Amino acid sequence: MSAGTPLLSVRDLTARIATHHEIVEAVRGVSFDVAPGEAVGFVGESGCGKSVTARAIMRLAAEGTDVRLDGKILFKGRDLLTLSDREMGKMRGRQIAMVFQDPMTSLNPVMTVGAQIDDVLRRHTDLYGRAVRARSIELLDAVGVPDPARRADDHPHQFSGGQRQRILIAIAIACDPDLLIADEPTTALDVTVQAQILRLLMRLREERGMSLLLITHDFGVVAGMVEKVNVMYRGEIVETGDVDTLLSKPQHEYTKSLLAAVPRIRVAGAIS
Amino acid sequence: MKRLIIVRLAWTFAILLGVSFIAFILMRALPGDFVLAAAGTTSVSAEALDGMRAELGLDRPVLEQYLVWLGNALQGDFGASFVTHAPVLQELAPRFFVTLQLSLVAIVMALLIGGVTGLASARLRGRVDWLVRAINGVSLAVPNFVIATLIVLLAGLYFPQLVVFGYTPFAVDPLKSFGNLLLPGLALGLAVSVTISENTRAAVLEVSNQDFVMVARAKGLKRSTVLFQYLLRNAATPIITVAGLQVATLLGGSILVETIFAIPGMGQYLFDSITRRDYPVIQAIVLVAAGVVVLINMLVDIAYIRADARVRL
Amino acid sequence: MSLVNDDIAPVGSTRRSWRAQLRGGSVLLCVGLLMLAIMIVTTVLAPWIVPYDPSASIGMPLSPPNAEHLLGTDVIGRDILSRLISGGRTTLLITGIAVSLALVAGLILGLLSGYLGGIVDETIMRILDVVFAFPVFLLAIAVVAALGPTIPNLIITIAIVYTPAMARVVRGPVLSVKQWDHVEAARSIGVGDVRIVSRHILPIVASPVVVETSLTLAQTIFTVTALSFLGLGPPPPDPNWGGMLAESRQFMELAPITVIAPAGAIVFATMTFIILANGLREFLNVSTRR
Repeated sequence: MSAGTPLLSVRDLTARIATHHEIVEAVRGVSFDVAPGEAVGFVGESGCGKSVTARAIMRLAAEGTDVRLDGKILFKGRDLLTLSDREMGKMRGRQIAMVFQDPMTSLNPVMTVGAQIDDVLRRHTDLYGRAVRARSIELLDAVGVPDPARRADDHPHQFSGGQRQRILIAIAIACDPDLLIADEPTTALDVTVQAQILRLLMRLREERGMSLLLITHDFGVVAGMVEKVNVMYRGEIVETGDVDTLLSKPQHEYTKSLLAAVPRIRVAGAIS
Repeated sequence: MKRLIIVRLAWTFAILLGVSFIAFILMRALPGDFVLAAAGTTSVSAEALDGMRAELGLDRPVLEQYLVWLGNALQGDFGASFVTHAPVLQELAPRFFVTLQLSLVAIVMALLIGGVTGLASARLRGRVDWLVRAINGVSLAVPNFVIATLIVLLAGLYFPQLVVFGYTPFAVDPLKSFGNLLLPGLALGLAVSVTISENTRAAVLEVSNQDFVMVARAKGLKRSTVLFQYLLRNAATPIITVAGLQVATLLGGSILVETIFAIPGMGQYLFDSITRRDYPVIQAIVLVAAGVVVLINMLVDIAYIRADARVRL
Repeated sequence: MSLVNDDIAPVGSTRRSWRAQLRGGSVLLCVGLLMLAIMIVTTVLAPWIVPYDPSASIGMPLSPPNAEHLLGTDVIGRDILSRLISGGRTTLLITGIAVSLALVAGLILGLLSGYLGGIVDETIMRILDVVFAFPVFLLAIAVVAALGPTIPNLIITIAIVYTPAMARVVRGPVLSVKQWDHVEAARSIGVGDVRIVSRHILPIVASPVVVETSLTLAQTIFTVTALSFLGLGPPPPDPNWGGMLAESRQFMELAPITVIAPAGAIVFATMTFIILANGLREFLNVSTRR
């Protein structure tokens, strides 16, 4: 871990989700740190609480669910759980941004992609008028959308899945956030496209000095992408450590079984 | 997509043909024809009656009568009223405009009431949801002519100075013209607002669960932006579709509401014409009404095909 | 404790447990059945329970509710309660028979269309499309006006008007059910068409049809009373709710009860079937797409 205070410091985070007749503890006593510029991975199977953790940092919950959080989420020393809704609204998209799993459903189908980048810029920056769109086009260019000036006026359905994920990444990095949370950013994509998107995330992180929280079920994805890995199982972190150590000498039984499930080739040919 | 639209257009035309034919046959099946009704109690010789029938073309075979009528109708000539001898189109047009105006007021009120209650129901949930749905359930059970009558009763009892009846032509005083139609529009639109409310609720709930709404919130956008740009813009298509499909209900209901509020619209005209057996007028009204319904259904369909293409492709 | 979901109100989940669902459905269903029972009993017993002859002028005109006339009298001194009960009998009779006819016709057409498919399906559905293109109420007015406003004509008209909707409700599930495994299996071992339809398809189509029937009953009450409101109802001197409402409009400020009584009766009848439909829908677990 690099010196100084961590950018994000989660302490004893517990998330309870209320359903009609019971309360489920989706996350139990999770603690971890993310240093400035550092990339941290969260690995676990679906339902282990890794996505709930990621959303908790953004203070987002799925529509119609009632999630209660306990513990502390310290971002630059401030506890996000004590912020007002207004303050949290200014934080989202500005200092902490998120990329979601399914690019096919994550863009508003009735707005042009340019407009969907414009609105986050208008919300968080001082840009106005033509400068907004100019910046949006720059962003599309930065994430590798070809012919960005023209394509900014297209609707989401005119783009492929990989391109849509690039657009969503452009939205996420629009305001130069300090922390980017990527929740299974490649799961819904073809294998070849997966590698491209991961490479893009790596590059942007280095260029902009962002911290990255990468959430995935796939050890093949974290290898070569992050420095530190937390393995989650049933709402708890069961193992944490340096990525190389963890991949070569897993301690926990669950980590071993997860690693055994990854096809050899993918781990060996990890993204570089 | 173009082919789909062309097929749809052709089909619409076929339906209109079918409708006009059924309407024609139906009117000719009336026991006692127009000539007898017109002659009334005065004793007219059988030859004179036959002469009148020949003059009006009623002595020829029904199919031939229909084809003649259809040929003229396709050229925009719907014949002349048996009663006033004025061209039907000329008599119908101003009345059609009045009904159109009434329906417009009704649909706007229905969209406002239904949209707001449906949205409140979906967003606030809990008690509000329960209350809205209960009120909707009750409103659905009160037919529009009962509501209209009760509105008139309440206005008469508690606001006697309010002018409830009648209609001011749009050309005379546009503002007053619409003002006159507020209460009738409410009576007519209430039932439709229930449908719109329920559909708004369902549409908003469905859109709320979409990933892009979560993304919008993750962008830190203001609540109002998320609501209007992300939720409502996507929920709008199904809501407007449903509103369009309610036009048939409005046209049917306008007959009753126009009668109660003494509004000189197409509904009232139809009712008068049926009692007078004025075939050409009835025919034209049925065709116009069915035409409007079929046309709107078609537009809704096409809008749907296009919206679908945008979302799915 | 901290509440995270700032964008949404903290409420329970939108989906209820099956137990709650059953209970919710049962309450509605019981209320609906109770209201239906009240209507049926008054209808059947009408000739014995009416206090006075509904067509005879026996009191002061427009007298307010009193001990002798519980709901007062109308403009020519007839007892409103008696007219309400006896008018309800006519309305429910027309409604019941007409909807039964529409149900039978709709079932036959829908089953034929959905089960046979192909040209039969196309033909039936296209013809129904044409009937569907008429605004229902306009069609009803036109037919009743053409045939003359008598009780049998009203019944026929309403049956015609509501058959297409019924046929569509039947056809939809038939189309999917006939491809289900158990139907395919039955066919493969040589079970006859009639038996397949009656044993395997009808039971599955039954739930949506029952719900639709209840909704149609509500709409029919509306149509019958609306037609009589326009003077196209059962001929006088038989009382009917729509006609009572229409007659009393001129005097309603003098005697509001003359309007409120028939209005209340119409709303009660319509609401009965709407509540029943919703109760049945939840009880039978029919999806609410319409």
